[in-house]
Amino acid sequence: MQLKEKLIILADSAKYDASCSSSGSMRKNNKGIGNAAFSGICHSFASDGRCISLLKILMTNCCIYDCKYCLNRKSNNIKRATFTPEEICAITINFYKRNYIEGLFLSSGIIKNANYTMELLIKTISLLRNKYHFNGYIHAKAILGADQMLVKKLGLLVDRLSANIELPTSDSLKLLAPNKNQNQVNDIMQYVHDHKDEKFVPSGQSTQMIIGATAESDLQIMQQSEKMYHNYSLKRVFYSAYIPINNDKLLPALKLPPLKREHRLYQADWLLRFYNFKVSDLLDLENPNFNILIDPKANWALKHLELFPKEINTASYHELLQIPGIGEKSAKRIISSRKHFKITFKDLKLMGVVLKRAKYFIICDGKYFANTNLFNKRFIESNLILEDKSPNTHNYQQLSLFNG
Amino acid sequence: MDNKIYLYDNNFIGLLNLISFLITNKIKPQNIKNLDYQPNLLDELINLNITIDKEIFKYIIKTSNKDILRILYYIYLSKYDNKELVIYYFYLNMLKYHANVIHMRNLKCVSLGLKLAHQVKDEVHKLKGFLRFQELSNKILYAKAYLNNDVLYLLSCHFKNRLPLEYWIIKDENRKMYSVYDKHNFYIVSEENFNLSTEKLSNNEKNMQDLWKEFYRTIGISERKNDKCRMNFMPKKYWKYIIEMEQDI
Repeated sequence: MQLKEKLIILADSAKYDASCSSSGSMRKNNKGIGNAAFSGICHSFASDGRCISLLKILMTNCCIYDCKYCLNRKSNNIKRATFTPEEICAITINFYKRNYIEGLFLSSGIIKNANYTMELLIKTISLLRNKYHFNGYIHAKAILGADQMLVKKLGLLVDRLSANIELPTSDSLKLLAPNKNQNQVNDIMQYVHDHKDEKFVPSGQSTQMIIGATAESDLQIMQQSEKMYHNYSLKRVFYSAYIPINNDKLLPALKLPPLKREHRLYQADWLLRFYNFKVSDLLDLENPNFNILIDPKANWALKHLELFPKEINTASYHELLQIPGIGEKSAKRIISSRKHFKITFKDLKLMGVVLKRAKYFIICDGKYFANTNLFNKRFIESNLILEDKSPNTHNYQQLSLFNG
Repeated sequence: MDNKIYLYDNNFIGLLNLISFLITNKIKPQNIKNLDYQPNLLDELINLNITIDKEIFKYIIKTSNKDILRILYYIYLSKYDNKELVIYYFYLNMLKYHANVIHMRNLKCVSLGLKLAHQVKDEVHKLKGFLRFQELSNKILYAKAYLNNDVLYLLSCHFKNRLPLEYWIIKDENRKMYSVYDKHNFYIVSEENFNLSTEKLSNNEKNMQDLWKEFYRTIGISERKNDKCRMNFMPKKYWKYIIEMEQDI
């Protein structure tokens, strides 16, 4: 088989993994080729608007498992291909020196058994690091059920290691991926968490959940994320809107991937990690799913209007972060500037604070942006919905640039 | 009306020395321009021939900090027409507020200066990703880019660390300048002083470009197609030099 054909097959079967972040590593050039960029670098953007940072491929799409949602499941009649370690190295190096990519994201279908597959990944990446002296970014998938010793070996070679949780609950996983179980995922995450340092998985671990293939609510999904952030200090949970690839009576008959829902989950995930929100602030058993019309933070604020409007000149950092439309950067700017002068609406604009959403929830030096009668739920809610009309113009992969 | 325009040697340190001199002597310039400036009829050009003193860097760091010096440098690299005047007023406020000057965003020169510095940084960051090298028949990696701001030096620093064992050349199509790396250092030279012996591609080059284009085409998920989003992150002005996008222009 031609190299080009292999590449097409093995990129096509890897494309459903959402992660492509290359941030968080300080790996230096050590008499070879490449280095890591701490903030991560996007080298291109695909037709779906997602960042392309890494050469994202499978080593092989042959697989002994039969996960219902997966393109590569054994019962699918598709073309199969396998890269040799040398081939993977050659493509990586050639792409890297032309500045197409930041590094490699290597995953694989399971051949023979977990350990055998894992050993092949290690062999390939070890060749790339030691023979080709490649110091660029490498993200590898840990194979579920492989020996701890192999996880350790692989972790010492890569920048990021990830094990996919795949589905929000262990029951769903049992149903759709009968060969996998959630304990295997937890074991790997626990091991990486306990051993992470500047040599072992320096840029941390991430995971991915498929959204909409099973019946879980947003509440169940976010609780699972919260638990993993808490227990394993994950860098990221990626949410991947389910795309119907296979026909199976166990899978829902969706026509389009639930992109809007995925987007809300990413927004809420952001609130958990950087804004001190808890899942219980955002969702409960009576409202177990996010409002599709309004983003989670604004939705929360509208339910707690008694806490607003907040005075920009006196609100604490934590309170500033609760204001819809105000992020970490703006909050920090406000805090450091107001020591030196009293902030007015005009100043906020000069400071680069975007007021489109925030203006409904703040006062500056005692003044509201409009008649104070307008500070009521109906007015604010309808205006926010109007402004949020074209959600898909933004792609939230970008967030991974700095904090992935 | 005062039409005095003060001239500086075409480099950053020359500009800083001039500004420091003007401030010390309480001269408020109408404008500051480099030696290439084409004057209008009414302009009165003044060249003070200030001696260059490297201590000025230390002085700025002592008065504020390294970050402020870096911001001033980034503003200097900006394509903005009156950047020198922005630096003058930024510098003036630095003397007053020291390191806190970056928090004084209610001052126009500060907010504008920081905005320009950000644009420069952003262009460097984007090009770290979007620059594309092609391998020439003599094995040199060659990239062309149209740089809005003067970021050739900053880009070269990045690739010196990243590809230390390759010969590479980056051309700024806007300023007609080349950065040439010889596996030890890079040198920035103008078109008149540099002759690229060949632009012939290596035998393997088309092959690799083809592989990459196929990868690019394959990795997008058609059910998620989103041109608007792609355009946001990768504006069309960069496409000309991004090989996987060429055919879409």
